[in-house]
Amino acid sequence: MSVIKLTGGRVIDPANGVDDQVRDLYIRDGRLIAAPDAHDRISAEYNISGRIVMSGAIDMHSHIGGGKVNIAREMLPEDHGGDPVERTDLTRSSCGHAAPGTLAAGYRYAEMGYTAAFEPALLPVNARQAHMEMGDTPMLDTGGYAMLGSDDFLLRMLAAKEDQQAINDYVAWTLHATQTVGIKVVNPGAISAFKFNQRKLDLDEQNAFYGITPREIVKVLSRAVHDLGVAKPLHVHASNLGVPGNVDTTLGTMDAAEGLPVHLTHIQFHSYGTEGERKFSSAAARIAEAINQKKNVSADVGQILFGQTVTASGDNMVQYRNAGHGSPKKSVIMDIECDAGCGVVPFKYKDQNFVNALQWAIGLEIFLMVDDPWRIFLTTDHPNGAPFTTYPHLIKLLMDRSFRSAMLDTINPDARAMSNLAGLDREYSLYEIAIMTRAGPAKLIGLADRGHLAPGAAADIVVYKEDADRERMFEKPELVFKDGELVVRDGRIVKVVRGGTHAVKPEFDIGIEKKIKPYFERFHSMRMNNFKISDDELCECGGGSRLMAHACRKRG
Amino acid sequence: MTHEATSTVVTEVACPLCGHACDDLSVDTAGAALAVVAHGCDRAVSGFARLSAESSAATPRIAGRAASLDEACAEAARLLAASAQPVFGGMALDVSGARGAMELVDQAGGVIDHMNNEFGWRASRVVQDGGGIITTLAEVKNRADLILLVGTDAVSVQPRFFERCVWVKETMFDLQPASRRIVYLGGALDTTPGRSPDGRAPDVFDFDCSRMPEALSVLNALVAQQPVDGDAPLGIALARWQELADALLGAKYSVVVWEGSTFDMSQLDLNVGAIGSLVRRLNVITRCNSLPLAGNDGDLSMAAVHIWQTGYPMRTSYASGAPKFDPLHNGIERLLATGEADALVWLSSLNDLQAPPVTGMPTIVIAPPSLKLASEPQVYIPVATPGMHHTGHFVRTDKVVTLPLQALRKSALPAAGEVAVAIATRMKEVQS
Ligand code: SF4
Ligand SMILES: [Zn+2]
Ligand SMILES: [Zn+2]
Repeated sequence: MSVIKLTGGRVIDPANGVDDQVRDLYIRDGRLIAAPDAHDRISAEYNISGRIVMSGAIDMHSHIGGGKVNIAREMLPEDHGGDPVERTDLTRSSCGHAAPGTLAAGYRYAEMGYTAAFEPALLPVNARQAHMEMGDTPMLDTGGYAMLGSDDFLLRMLAAKEDQQAINDYVAWTLHATQTVGIKVVNPGAISAFKFNQRKLDLDEQNAFYGITPREIVKVLSRAVHDLGVAKPLHVHASNLGVPGNVDTTLGTMDAAEGLPVHLTHIQFHSYGTEGERKFSSAAARIAEAINQKKNVSADVGQILFGQTVTASGDNMVQYRNAGHGSPKKSVIMDIECDAGCGVVPFKYKDQNFVNALQWAIGLEIFLMVDDPWRIFLTTDHPNGAPFTTYPHLIKLLMDRSFRSAMLDTINPDARAMSNLAGLDREYSLYEIAIMTRAGPAKLIGLADRGHLAPGAAADIVVYKEDADRERMFEKPELVFKDGELVVRDGRIVKVVRGGTHAVKPEFDIGIEKKIKPYFERFHSMRMNNFKISDDELCECGGGSRLMAHACRKRG
Repeated sequence: MTHEATSTVVTEVACPLCGHACDDLSVDTAGAALAVVAHGCDRAVSGFARLSAESSAATPRIAGRAASLDEACAEAARLLAASAQPVFGGMALDVSGARGAMELVDQAGGVIDHMNNEFGWRASRVVQDGGGIITTLAEVKNRADLILLVGTDAVSVQPRFFERCVWVKETMFDLQPASRRIVYLGGALDTTPGRSPDGRAPDVFDFDCSRMPEALSVLNALVAQQPVDGDAPLGIALARWQELADALLGAKYSVVVWEGSTFDMSQLDLNVGAIGSLVRRLNVITRCNSLPLAGNDGDLSMAAVHIWQTGYPMRTSYASGAPKFDPLHNGIERLLATGEADALVWLSSLNDLQAPPVTGMPTIVIAPPSLKLASEPQVYIPVATPGMHHTGHFVRTDKVVTLPLQALRKSALPAAGEVAVAIATRMKEVQS
């Protein structure tokens, strides 16, 4: 068979403990092999000596598809015109900056060396649309985390004190029905509470109708995910996002998982204290210390970067509260199908604004104070903190202390004075960046053959030209291979491919449908059978993309 | 009534014939056309029968003469390659059809404008200006204690609205469905469906709908506790207006229903903006949401795909090689009337009642065989209908739920999306 050879690259492959070793890589049939055998012939060889080689980058939290993203696109034509993607013989036209079209998003991710991205807030009732949008995102493998926790079915189960086993079955059923790879909870129970006109919900405060608290929801869902053997820990967007002093809620949310694996997402937005004149301060140190101590906890940062963006969230309670801060001033807030909600608010982060500048510093403080790069992930919560196209800039901030200091000198001086960023000397290494952007996400989500370069792995490979300017280096890799095909050369698409969809398939008792089916008929606006997405339909939604199913080993 | 699935009856079928997208229909597949035997409204019964009927005689035509599909696609590709500014109208498509159309419009450097988009783009602009607070059908069904219908009776666009969302048997919460309050703003509406199952008449504020801006400003003022002139605005006692304002403030979850095409075109922005203000103001105190009705003829399916692939809504030109959004400039009627367009593609798989305009310019019609044409186009390609002949996806009125459409009977005809892709592929061959 024909084999592609990458000769002489400096391989950084943390999953296999390889740190900058010169190695030849061989690709056959879309996968890495140890060495060609007698039947193989080298059909293409790339001399990449001196180049840095990593596996394809994986964005574990990026809002790339689904209703709220499409609302953001629709409501922001002013976002798009300045960032066009022109039609070529290979690629279609598209555009957009903070809320790009799916075509633009797919091309740009690939041009930056990303080969997979995960939509973290896939509303079960909107799952089809999310998969269709991700299917129309070329170049990338995709997957979603299904949102539970404010859906009336779960809240009714909790109010009726149904046992953990039944909840596990419902969670597993949801993963199958929505073809997703994990579960997310957003402001636990509060999207429902907002529908009952509650305007805030603390960790131990009850939903007015159900009497259920966020803590209980995090507890049962983290247990369900664990018991079912789903690799990806429960993805938690904690209560009180953006509220000064929310650090206590965040620490309490970690404890609500009672030692089971739990992932706190866009934790920057949940790391605020109330010190100082303006009663807004960094609590990054307490958060980082907690992550360092609690080995069951992981987090992604949700770094903000200055400029125009749009926030798109399932958290309609918080988005409604913040709508007045929107820029330009407009917002869409939705209650959705006794299932969830959403809120879209455009936002401009300004470096001379005290709060924004401190948010920027807090994110960086967390990155630099969390010791274990396997448990902290590089995200901007695209587009909520900044568009994903800012990742190379963010990498430079982490890897280059002098660049960071220079930036720090330009922000709002009061914010600078409130931050300990100037005292943080750490510079991330390429090895650590590779962990945060490849090996770590693959391990967290349970993608055994992605995020590394050992024989047997899928040949998602990125070749960078070493450059002291890390932003320039990560902006435009020289070569990107997706499943063994060369798709990007010198930062330009040379082949358009369609990725696959990751989904987990935990075992469960299908008897749970005896409860779910009548629920749909009595209360819902659609039938259960039309809610569920079959394997065949998923591929149709994806416009022909393939399902990559992952089995789970039950733990409960 | 439930209709048991038999060897020829398929149950839980989703209907693409209006934006409500009911998914509880039973359809008998045995006859020469599909027969909706349970849960279909009149529109569904006649639409399934008409669109699904045997079409073995339908064949592509070039200038009126029978041609093969290949020949017809090649001729369409030739016409589009020769056109400087083609426009794509009709666009009553499901998601798969819309995906194909997007590939073609990009290749051809055209503009897409849906047959309902004269209202659609204006409604979209209101979102671009201010946004909205919006809900969806299942929330209405379970939570709405007061439903205010602004200038619409809902059932003219979505016949089963009251049956499926309002007068249901039960809700999940402490709300008796029959106790909901129904209020119509505006006269000359079909208010019969608003009568509750226990015989309570709806509240009708009867005035000429062209005075809707005044009516909404009265309500907005009263909700904001501002004074209102006169003791009978629009000929209706102020006390009734006041009582309605108080009821909205006192409701736990009111819903304001509207539909773009019922407003005077020149007042659409004003009315939708005023509804937005009303809803925002009420949410300071209680919960209130708007519920725009749309989705007919697949307008939301086409809009969704257009937006997600390229970022922009319809009325975007692809002529320069990159998308350029200009809804005032790129309206299909304007482009045809001024002669800025020089070819028309009429794409439709869900609507066989609205015929393309007769323009005198090269015209390509890709539509169900049951569509009656006023004149013979240069290229005609008959297509199958999603949800009847082939599978597909349909975006519902609230833009959140996408229903899977089933293939219920065989057709020899191609899907609209396949035809569009075939033409785009031909164009690439010609141009490269
Ligand atoms: S109300 Fe609309 S979706 Fe429902 S059956 Fe009638 S036409 Fe079909
Ligand atoms: Zn979130
Ligand atoms: Zn997020």
